Amino acid sequence: MTPARATVTLTVNGVARTLDVEPRETLLDVLRERLDLTGAKRACDRGECGACAVLVDGRPINACHVLALQVRGREVVTIEALAGRPEFQPILAAFIHHDAGQCGFCTPGFALAAHALLQRHPAASDALIRWELVGHICRCNAYDGLAAAVAAARDARKPS
Amino acid sequence: MTAPADVSALSVVGTPVARRELAEKVTGRTRYTADLHRPGMLHGRVLRSPHPHARIVRVDASAALRLPGVHAVLTPEDAPQQPIDRDLRALEPLVRFAGEEVALVAAESEAQAEDALRAIEVVYEPLPAVLDPEAALAPGAPEVHPGGNLVGGKPLVVQRGDVAAGFAQAARIFEGTFRTQAHAPVAMETRAALAEWEGDRLTLWKTSRAVHASDRPLLARGLGIPAERIRVICTAMGGGFGNKDETRLGVLTALLARKAGRPVRVEYSRREEVLGGRNRQATVNRLRIGVRVDGTPVAIEQRSVMDAGAYISSGINVNRRTGQGALYLYTCPNARYEGHAVYTNRPAGGSFRGLGAPLGHFAVEVLADEIAAALGIDPLDYRLRHHVTAAGQPGTRVTAPDALLPDEPVEGGVPFSSNALRACLLVGAERIGWHRRRPDGAEPGERVRGLGVAMGTYKGGAGREAEAELHIAESGRVALHLGLTDVGQGSATVLAQIAAEALTLPAERIETVMADTARTPPGHVTAGSTTTFSTGEAVRRAALAAAEQLRRRAAEMLGVAAARLEAGRLISEDGRRSLALEEVAAGLGAELVTRWRWNAGSSTHIVNSFAAHFAEVEVDRRNGHIRVLRYVAAQDSGRIVNPRLAAGQVSGAVLQFLGIALREELFLDPRSGVTLNPSFLEHKSTAIVDFPAVEVLFLGEPDPVGPYGAKALGEPPVVPVFAAIANAVANAAGVRLHEVPFTPQRVLAALKAQGRLVP
Repeated sequence: MTPARATVTLTVNGVARTLDVEPRETLLDVLRERLDLTGAKRACDRGECGACAVLVDGRPINACHVLALQVRGREVVTIEALAGRPEFQPILAAFIHHDAGQCGFCTPGFALAAHALLQRHPAASDALIRWELVGHICRCNAYDGLAAAVAAARDARKPS
Repeated sequence: MTAPADVSALSVVGTPVARRELAEKVTGRTRYTADLHRPGMLHGRVLRSPHPHARIVRVDASAALRLPGVHAVLTPEDAPQQPIDRDLRALEPLVRFAGEEVALVAAESEAQAEDALRAIEVVYEPLPAVLDPEAALAPGAPEVHPGGNLVGGKPLVVQRGDVAAGFAQAARIFEGTFRTQAHAPVAMETRAALAEWEGDRLTLWKTSRAVHASDRPLLARGLGIPAERIRVICTAMGGGFGNKDETRLGVLTALLARKAGRPVRVEYSRREEVLGGRNRQATVNRLRIGVRVDGTPVAIEQRSVMDAGAYISSGINVNRRTGQGALYLYTCPNARYEGHAVYTNRPAGGSFRGLGAPLGHFAVEVLADEIAAALGIDPLDYRLRHHVTAAGQPGTRVTAPDALLPDEPVEGGVPFSSNALRACLLVGAERIGWHRRRPDGAEPGERVRGLGVAMGTYKGGAGREAEAELHIAESGRVALHLGLTDVGQGSATVLAQIAAEALTLPAERIETVMADTARTPPGHVTAGSTTTFSTGEAVRRAALAAAEQLRRRAAEMLGVAAARLEAGRLISEDGRRSLALEEVAAGLGAELVTRWRWNAGSSTHIVNSFAAHFAEVEVDRRNGHIRVLRYVAAQDSGRIVNPRLAAGQVSGAVLQFLGIALREELFLDPRSGVTLNPSFLEHKSTAIVDFPAVEVLFLGEPDPVGPYGAKALGEPPVVPVFAAIANAVANAAGVRLHEVPFTPQRVLAALKAQGRLVP
């Protein structure tokens, strides 16, 4: 029994990649095991916790819940690349100032989701910020720091 | 006790230094165990038993070994049979819970390893299983381990005074049975290990809270090789909460890698983490409190039965701590705790934040409210009258001076080093607006509101052997080498602050090297809220010793009698000449290394942290739903080394336990013994929208024993949470809750049974 294989071409962090994968491999498997991009974490592997969030064509998704085959031709951005963008810097600064992470395992997912939500809702209310992050679990329960950090990043990004 | 003189003016301790390496964590650069790769590395997967109790007759891996990519299969026949823990072997031809390890596969990819697991044929001979601790204690019950199901053959008994005499003096006796259910720790990072052999030497990267104190000795036993040939490293931990080891994972990964002849990484799935990790044990606590006419406690007696699951791991400590509330919290001359840890064929229990303390405190603090209500006393007033004070318990000390630390005495006559419980009660009450509290169940209507209070006490750190090593290189580089793990609570940040304070440097100047047996001195397990108190003092002493040597060398270099260290400069007595620390370090001629080791604690005082928590809830009497409206956590953890990190730790602790109080529970199918909800979705951890922001108050005075006055912080804030909510529900809806979690079903049942449903 030899599993079938397939070729997938996609863009990861601005670099075009052609990969020979098994059809059952998820985007998360490919990022972590083939491309050594380990900022997206595997904590549940079934779309329940948000620790593996990445951007696909600018939208946040759980990379564990998508097969590599499903993102053919798409543009994937992981936290490693997002971290270098100018618009991410207020988020990073706010996360540190408000101590929005303890063990840090869920933190890249939250930070990526924070970026995506502020792109979509630059003036999100404090309540909306919490609701937009509801798909992410933090077992340290650093939620008060997380909510404060995203609100601070929103305020810092507002055009004055 | 009086505070030591050196805490008068602090510049780094007490300031909100940013969490160490948080930028790396946020941006995904931190490498946790499962993020590591080694050349030629294979992926390991574990085959787990579907039966709660069975003999393994035969394991046939021949078909699995023929599959593409498969390099090795490890079965019980391959595993050494010497115990690696008091009741645990690496693999046995017997399984004691559904989900237990049976065999492992190493393959080129995880998917190939998964395929191979399905191709392994195992013949089981199912045995009768026992899933309930009371049934396990009955005569003729199936034995989980030889020698009976009561762990250790007898219950743990801890007492002071004479409870029978105390109850004889009591005007009234109150009693109740309180239950807490099993739940999963679910740190975000699952357990993982990566083993690599070079000849007969092993390097193991692993999720660990004690590379020195538990992993290395356990590996040496399990592999039958000297500890010196084993290096254990934990690069970063994705949450611990007192959990995350106590398993076979390290030994099995090492055995599999040896058999495969290649490095192997094993990473648990979420389901495996719940089944094969170590969960919080269910307990049943029968509590009796005898009081005088005015409510003064004269006797407290608690009997606890804990479902230890199939292996005890750290359940002995959990059992001991379940009595902590009954033994310490209220001033009472007569107290007795009897704890039974019982084996069953459930997934193994272990340690989780607070050990047994929140479970026992739940019983004590709910029954205290029932006493106050029966006597017509406000529950806050009742606590203000009877909480234990700095003097400790009444009576005479019998424990010898050198035995105070290991013995954890409960007798009278041993004072606390500090105790701000009263301030926590008073200031917390003011913050929540306790004056608004109405009589229990007074509010009419469908959705009713109420206020509740509960206290907690927790011993953290005393009795731990702690060690720290400080390196000052000739380049001026300052590095703190510590054997313990920062599991995510922020110990690297806090310990660097303590070193920085002693060396008058900014915290950023201190590098931290941790959790690597090859590069660090021995370190204790990161457990029991130990680190800041015990290792913190070792860090302070090591840093002060280094400062002393720098001062001496500086005096020589400056040609003066003495020099002082100030803001990173060494200054002559007259203040005229000075050298930078780097210049003096360069003048030392070699790297300066100072070490300090101590057995943390005091021979005259018990060092405990305290807390008083206040909750405001709304109870929907139609559906049993509890909504938390406000939560105030007033903590006495002595001086707070880092207020920013500490506030997050307390807030996180409370939110974590609010979820456990209201929802988290592991369900086992009573016929098959199979765990039904090993996932985030079905185990229902707290999410960001569930509770309001926690209001955190720090009210401790600097403690005379702890480093710069610090006491334990990680676990104390979880201790009162269950009872604070239960008491607020009682105030709102007039019903007493005796079983955690307070699910809508249980609240509805209580409303119905106690006649408090909406008419």
